Amino acid sequence: MTYNLFIYLIITIVAITAVMARKMLISAIMLAVASIALSLLMFKFSAPWAALFELSVCAGLITVLFISAVSLVKKEDMALKESRAKFTILPLISGAVFIFMAIFLMPYFESLSGFTRNPEIQPKVGEIIWKFRSADLLGQITILAAAVFVVKSVFYKRSEQ
Amino acid sequence: MTTELLSYSIIPLLAALAIPFFGRRSFKLTEILSNVTLLAGLGNLMFIIFNPSNKLHNYETFSFDGFTILMLFTIYLVALSIVFFSTFFKVGDFNKNAFYPLIMISVSAMSSMVLSVDFFSLYIFMEALAVTSFALIACEEKKSGIEAAIKYLLLTFPASALILIGLAIMLFANGSLYFDISMQNASPAVFSALAFIVLGFAIKAGLFPFHFWTPDAYQGAPATVSAYLAGIVTKVSGMYAIIKICTLLKVMGPASFKISSPLMLIGVATLIFGSIAALAQKDFKRMLAFSSISQMGYIVAGAATLNPIGILGAILHLFNHATFKTSLFLNSAAIEKSAGTTNMKKLSGLEKNMPVTSWTSVIAIFSTAGLPPLSGFWSKLLIILALWVAAPKPYAILALIFSIVTLAYFMLLQKNVFFGKPKEELKEVKEASVYMLIPVIVMCLIIVVSGIFFPFVFEFFEKTL
Amino acid sequence: MTLTSTFSLDWLFAALIIFIGAYCMVLTRNLIKQLIGLEIISKGVMIAIISSGAMSGNTNLAQAIIITVILVEAVIVATGLALLVKGYRLNENIDVKKLDNLRG
Repeated sequence: MTYNLFIYLIITIVAITAVMARKMLISAIMLAVASIALSLLMFKFSAPWAALFELSVCAGLITVLFISAVSLVKKEDMALKESRAKFTILPLISGAVFIFMAIFLMPYFESLSGFTRNPEIQPKVGEIIWKFRSADLLGQITILAAAVFVVKSVFYKRSEQ
Repeated sequence: MTTELLSYSIIPLLAALAIPFFGRRSFKLTEILSNVTLLAGLGNLMFIIFNPSNKLHNYETFSFDGFTILMLFTIYLVALSIVFFSTFFKVGDFNKNAFYPLIMISVSAMSSMVLSVDFFSLYIFMEALAVTSFALIACEEKKSGIEAAIKYLLLTFPASALILIGLAIMLFANGSLYFDISMQNASPAVFSALAFIVLGFAIKAGLFPFHFWTPDAYQGAPATVSAYLAGIVTKVSGMYAIIKICTLLKVMGPASFKISSPLMLIGVATLIFGSIAALAQKDFKRMLAFSSISQMGYIVAGAATLNPIGILGAILHLFNHATFKTSLFLNSAAIEKSAGTTNMKKLSGLEKNMPVTSWTSVIAIFSTAGLPPLSGFWSKLLIILALWVAAPKPYAILALIFSIVTLAYFMLLQKNVFFGKPKEELKEVKEASVYMLIPVIVMCLIIVVSGIFFPFVFEFFEKTL
Repeated sequence: MTLTSTFSLDWLFAALIIFIGAYCMVLTRNLIKQLIGLEIISKGVMIAIISSGAMSGNTNLAQAIIITVILVEAVIVATGLALLVKGYRLNENIDVKKLDNLRG
């Protein structure tokens, strides 16, 4: 319980910092820290495979993508002037929202948890992925193929140039 | 997944992966390969549907779900007409070796979505479809395309988040994610989950309070892509799931009205808003986009009655919408190519130079407005009947009135674009080439034939749904 | 420590994190920051999924789902960043307010 609470606080603080940060690079790094904390949480929930993916894809790949995009648009990033006030009040607002949610949403979540239905069979992860959720594998292949052609079509160099 | 029909989603995927290797030699091969794949799939489906032994054995040997087969047929039909049209359209500069594979992947994703038997595969194929649509919208090197794609991505992301939250609730409240919810296990938590999922798909379908992205996406996309998006992509990614959930709600007992009655209200609000907004538009494509929103309202209102007639009407209207909206968007693409603009202020009197385009538009418009004996009339009739029987009476009356408003704004469009005196600078406009007219003419034939032979269509669905 | 109380705590924080991400997506004008908000929302959603998996003793299914969701998320972010970089090359800015060419 305390461990979970600690990790949640880390993720929340890091997320607020990512939103408030003036530099995009810091936001991207904060996002990676949030991913690492989330993967620790997944280990705690005894979900090692999901934690592994979170660590490698979210904390690794996505951070690299963000940092490369930030470095590509750096000049404009500085020039974009927007008011800081809406970000500086974020900790206050999220505190207020948290109290509001604790009062009004907590009973709703408690009532939801009363309707739990445990499944009859609980197969292993590999069995689930290959046997019961084989449609997802087709979905993953489809979305990866889509990603390849997205990059191909978005970064198309015209023949004249 | 429904395994008997899995080849309809795997073959386009394989074709998409094969196209770049063939396309390195020449673009011609790319085009031929994509056309042939889709044509073969369509022929196969037509053999399944129109096989005379079905009727002979009173549909007892027909082992498929009529809704799934109809959706597969619609997907292949619209995709084939778009691919065939863009083979001869040749406007804009984009990577053909990425454009055709993206269309094939989206066909594959849509087919998988239609064949999926649980909520999570519905979600993942919807995301795959969305990713291909972003790229299709932005495939030309134009500012408007990129802008539309970014708006589409950011404004429909809340839909994904809502669907995932719904899935998370479903995961513990139902124990599995299959479509096997029945009256016994329909707890309030399951209803909360379904409410989140329906809300997400309503954003994806562009229903009334969440419609901001639709007109921009259709207007910013290249001409053929907007026909593809409006004709089938946004309909499958949003509306298919809503109809599917309505068929689930139907068996979940009386408590399901908590979801269905707000949904019906959203549907009626959408059809009113879409019609009124369409009246005010100055751009051909934007007016079609708002008309598309309004027709989505009819479909949702029909499905949310949870009445067999209403659901059948919604399914048929989804099919009819695909036929008439694709032909209207393809006509707007032909006009954009010939006259160079889709602004209705700058267009007039095109009927003389583009007679076929004009008259196919008239057929599609009459079908949209629901004039007998065209196919749109029957589906609208079923929806309004179901609303009259299973909903508050004002809803049915509003649906009837706004079907007349549909006719009004489309007659305005027809008058501005095709009738009247041609302007000086439009005197030289030429009719689109014969090949570009073929898909539109086929669509119009389908509208007329399925309207006239409606009793057979009805019998097919009565037996197989 | 009962399971039920952890569940409510999980979902409370998931809701808070989703709120922070949504706040960022709605209020910022910077496209990269909007994508960061999108990522934060995904983190919250993943907390919700893993917690409901643990709740019903079905962690393995939740794991299988999360693996796919992570993949989808990576593809979506990659697409968003690709579009952003291309838009930056054409428009020379990453300001959401400037995305207003499409009007009826």
